Order: sequence, then structure tokens, then C-alpha cells
Amino acid sequence: MKKTMKKAASLVLAATLAVSPAACVQADAEESNGKILFLSFTSSGPIYDFDIAYMDAWMSELGYTWEMVYGDSSNDPAGNLAAVKNAMTSDVVGLIMCQDGGVANIMEEYPDLYVVGSATDMASVYDEDGASAACADNDHFLGSVASGYASGVDTGKMYAEAIIEKGYKKVAICMFPSFAYPQYEIADETLRSEIAAYNETVSEEEQIEITEESTVLMFTSLDDNFFNEPENQDLDAIIGLCGGQSFLYAPMLTAIANGTANPEMKLLTSGFESDPDMMADVCSDGGIVQGLYFANVENLFYSIVMLDNALQGTQFADYEQSEVLDGVMISITDREIMETIINDSPIVTPDLSTLALSIEDGKQYFVRYNEDATYAALLELMESDTFTEKGYMD
Amino acid sequence: MKDQKMAGWLSRHRSILISYGGLIFCIAFFTIVTPIRGESIWSASKVSTLISDMIVTALMSVGAVFIYALGNLDISIGKQIGLYAVIMVVLGNMTGSLIPPVLLCIVLSVLIAVVNGGAGPMFNIIPIIPSVVISQVLSGTITIIFAKMGTRSITLKTIDYRIFKSPVVMVVVLAAEVAIAVLLFNYTKIGKYAKALGQNKTAAVQSGINVIKYRIICYIFAGLCFVVAALFQMGYTGSASDSTGTGFEMNIMIALILGGMPISGGMRSKVSAAVVGALTFSLLDVGLPLIGIATRTTFIVKAIIFLIVVLMTSRKKEGTLPK
Repeated sequence: MKKTMKKAASLVLAATLAVSPAACVQADAEESNGKILFLSFTSSGPIYDFDIAYMDAWMSELGYTWEMVYGDSSNDPAGNLAAVKNAMTSDVVGLIMCQDGGVANIMEEYPDLYVVGSATDMASVYDEDGASAACADNDHFLGSVASGYASGVDTGKMYAEAIIEKGYKKVAICMFPSFAYPQYEIADETLRSEIAAYNETVSEEEQIEITEESTVLMFTSLDDNFFNEPENQDLDAIIGLCGGQSFLYAPMLTAIANGTANPEMKLLTSGFESDPDMMADVCSDGGIVQGLYFANVENLFYSIVMLDNALQGTQFADYEQSEVLDGVMISITDREIMETIINDSPIVTPDLSTLALSIEDGKQYFVRYNEDATYAALLELMESDTFTEKGYMD
Repeated sequence: MKDQKMAGWLSRHRSILISYGGLIFCIAFFTIVTPIRGESIWSASKVSTLISDMIVTALMSVGAVFIYALGNLDISIGKQIGLYAVIMVVLGNMTGSLIPPVLLCIVLSVLIAVVNGGAGPMFNIIPIIPSVVISQVLSGTITIIFAKMGTRSITLKTIDYRIFKSPVVMVVVLAAEVAIAVLLFNYTKIGKYAKALGQNKTAAVQSGINVIKYRIICYIFAGLCFVVAALFQMGYTGSASDSTGTGFEMNIMIALILGGMPISGGMRSKVSAAVVGALTFSLLDVGLPLIGIATRTTFIVKAIIFLIVVLMTSRKKEGTLPK
């Protein structure tokens, strides 16, 4: 009896001690302009690490507190809404969303909350029949920056140019399913039509062949059997409309080692992995990955500016309506660029001294710091080379 | 002598004491601590969040009690919820009413219950196996549906679903479901035989209990509860996605264990575990951020609490786990 009572008492005491300090730590937190929630789709990796460091720096500068909230890993509207509702406290004034599921439900639930997207094309907002299309006209919705080109047409053109430039003659396309990434289907179609148009302008020997059907990856790695199919055994390259380093690189490496694939086969893909072996491979002599394209993590700057202006009641005079911008892309096409990205950018290690746009320089785009700041100037920045690979090479 | 009696009583009711004690502790703790940070877990918005966070897990868990009481585990629950939610949105948009899709979901839930509940004893296989197969089939079906529609998420367009977001409606429906479940579980053969089968299947069979019949009945009742849960899951945002329901079977397991349900089933199984566990889990979900604990830390806190409860309530010398 006594033992049981002791056990119960110690358990209660331990639980209280475990939770109480955390409860008290911020009880006297200094006055702030409110709290920003950051709805992330990931909980690890270089992008996640950068987001934390960058948000820490800017939120501290602007006088907000902030908190990372974890959305549904598959972008389920109910999961995202539940994540925001559970994290909601009375001081929350803004929300940065890295995925669009449930954005309309969140804005309906919290009509005073300012919402901005980052690293998402907010397809459900900007598609005419999208589930959250009503948000596009809501003055509390402040737009977004896509995690790449917002339109698949531009993505398709980019890969077509790369294939032509690299001189590959036979390529296959592997992609995430179009129901999850509708723009990838458009990219696939555009890439094929661009190559078809190119083939009409060159001799038969110079023509490029794209295998008939694109391989759809259901968020799993490419199956080894892919390379057993006769048409895939002499590929010059695979185009990965997916996180190619995660889903294609290892099977390609295995197939080359096993002799089931062309030993000179290369990969052009999107996404970025900070695994040392993968980084060493990119654009190296004999490396598999010869082209890596991804949106710069510093694109988050746009979302922070838009949110702060709205929260301070100092929105740009020339800002009219929310929109989705192309994410400024980093294109790693040679080893020198890769070395620069590794050593002189915050992408691999979130060292903010290597930012393309320092905190100090960024202030000029906020109305609170610069009364003459304009939306046009911000757009000009997002269309300039500042956030491209060139921004780190100067 | 008195001490011995008391110790015996405490030992027998340990899981109930811990689960109810945990719930009372959470209520008291968050009631006292949240105002210190200028928040209140009992504010109208937080109570609403608490109820909406709890409702789906509670509705599912009440049904799942009948399966767990048998000493079984159903892996397909999450995918069942996902499929029912998809059917409700697609057919709801087509017909302009939720009645046809709900009826279809009920029919499907009965079919699934027959397979999940009957296949085990009928073909002499571990009961969890049919549920794994059903889960795979439903997962594939959902993927095909979304691939055909060319989207990852679908929304109700013509039906007003706001009623499913009303906390009052949620509480009333949960109360009604619990009342029916308690009636069936405690006062009819269904519950008594389910517990007997979970406690000692051989003895139950020797006593003349029709294993297949009562297992299927238990699964059917659970299936109906899953349809109700799917209705509220879909009604939360008026949408369904290809990941709706993913991992819900784990939420149920956590809720039931937190509520003091023995994971090996048997005579100590009780319907109250579903509500107590779901409420405790939601209190932690909603309360921890209010006292300043970062979201990523709440996962660890919840995991530690879960581990402590499992260690204190679910250990068995023979290491029995649900099948």
C-alpha cells in the first residue's frame, strides 16, 4: 500500500517538475509584437535548419516571437488545421504556411490572422476551382513564393534547355504523381514538346529521344526493375521531376554498379540533399548528378516582408492583390557553383553571415524601416540574381 | 488486514486509477498553469479546439473497444476512415446530399467487418492479418480514386457541413454513441462474450460461445462507429485527401491505453477508456502549447507520458499483446 502510494506520489511530482519549468520559462517573456506561427512540412534537413536560423534572426529583429508548427506530412487540410488550432494562443498574429492544405479553413477559423505562403505555389488558392480559391481575394492573405517555378511550363523549358546543352541523346523522365503535383504533368508535357520542336531543327543523328512513358514514383524510390526494361538500359540521363537525390540517386548508383544501366548515365533533378556523399557527387567528374535545381531558401524573405508590413499596418502603397511568385532558383550546373553553395551560402550550414541578402540590407524593403519601400522594389529583388547561385558567387 | 484489502483493491483498479488520475491531473494542471501565461484552456475557443481535437479519436475508440476487448487489433481503421471520407465528399457532391454516401459507407463497413472479424477464426489465421490486407486494399483504392481525379484533396461544394463543426453536436453524438456502446458492452451478450473471448478464447468456446458470430457483431458495431467518426473527420474541413485517416489506428491505440484499456483485451476492458484516453490525449495536445511548450517538445512529453502509462498499466508477465 505504502509502496503504491509512494510510486503515485513520485510520479505526480516528477510530471509536475518536468512540465513546470517549461511553463515558467517564458511567463515573463518580454513584450513583443505578437507571435508568428510557421507551419512546416518537414522536421529535419537543411531547409528546416535554415528556416529556424532565418526566422530566429528576423523575428528577433522585428520584435516578434515565433514557433514552428508541424503540418500534416501529406498536406491534409484537416491535419494542417488541427496543427494550427492546437498551437494557437492569444498572442498569435500571423501564420507562414509552407503547404496549402486547409488554408481556407484556417482563415475561416481565424479571420483576423494574416497568412502568407512560403515554398508553396498555393495551388488550392490560385487554381480557379481550388478548395481555397476564396483566399486569393482575402486581404489577410498575402501571397506566396513557390518552391520553384510556379508554372510547370517554365520547369519543362528549363529541363529541355539543360538536356540540349548537356548533349544527352536518350533520356527518361521520372516524376511524382500528377494528382499530388499537377504542375509536374505540365512540366512533363512541355519538356516533351520543347524537345520535339528542337528535333525538327536538327539532323537525325543530333535528335534527342525521350522514352515514351514517364515513370510515376508514388513517393518511393525508383524500382530496380526500371533498369531491366530494354528501353532504359542505354539511357544517357534521367530527368527527375521529384526529389531526385532521395528517390533516384541510390537506384541509379546500384544499377550502374550492377551493370544494368549505362555507366555514363546522369541525373538532372530538383531538390537538395546535404548528405556529404551526395554533395560530393554533384557535378563532379564521373558524378551521377550533373544538374541540380532548387528554390533558394532565402525566398522566405518575401513572406516575412509581406507579413510584417501587414501586421504593422504599413503595407506597400503600390501593393494591390496577393499573388504567387516563382521561387528564385539556384541552378547547380558545375562543380564551382556546388563548392560555392557548400562553402559560401547558408544552404548547407545555416550560417547567416553568408546570406545573399543580409539582415541589414534586407531592412530597406520593409516599410517600417524605409518609408519609400515599394512592392515593385521587392518584386524587382525577387526577379534579380540576388537569390540565384550568382548571388553567392560575387 | 485492512491495508492488505486496500492494497488488493488498488492493485485490481490500478489502471483505472492511473487513467482517471492522469485525466484529473491534466485538468487540474492546465486549469492552474495556463492562466499564469495569460491563456485559459477553458476559454470558448480552446474548449471548441479541445472537443474538435478529441471527437474523431473518441468516436473511433469507442468502436475499437469492441475489437480490443477481443484481444485483437485492427490495422485498417485509418484507411476505412479515409475511404469513407472520400466517398462522402465525392458522392455528396454528385447527389447534393450526405445520406446516399453515408448509407454506402455503412454497407461497406459491414462488408469490411465481416472480412476483418470472420476471416481470422474461419481460416484459422491471426486476426490482424485480414485487417492488414484490408488496409492495403483500401489504401490502393484511395490512391486510384485520387489519381483518377487528378488531385490530392477534394472538397464538399454543394453541401453545408457546418453542423459537423458544432461542439454541441459533437458532444451530443459522442454521448449517444457512448450510451449505446455501454449498453451493448455491459448489458448484452455482445460485450460479455467479447470480453470472455479476449480473456480466454478456449474457455469461451468451451462455454458454447459462437466465436465467428460474436466477433463479426463486434466488428460491425465498431465499423458503424468508424462511419460516424469519418463523418466528423470529413466535416472538420469539408474535405478529404489521400492521407485522410493515415495513422488513426495508432491514435486509437494511444487513447485506449491512456484510458486504461488492457491492450490484451479481456474482462478489464471498458468503454470509458475510449473517452478518458481521447480526452487526456487532446488535453495534452491543446494544453501543452498554452503553457509555452514548443510543438516539437510536446511530442516528447506525450511520448514520455504514454510510456509511463504503458509501463504502469499494460505490463503482463506473459507479455500478451493484441493479435
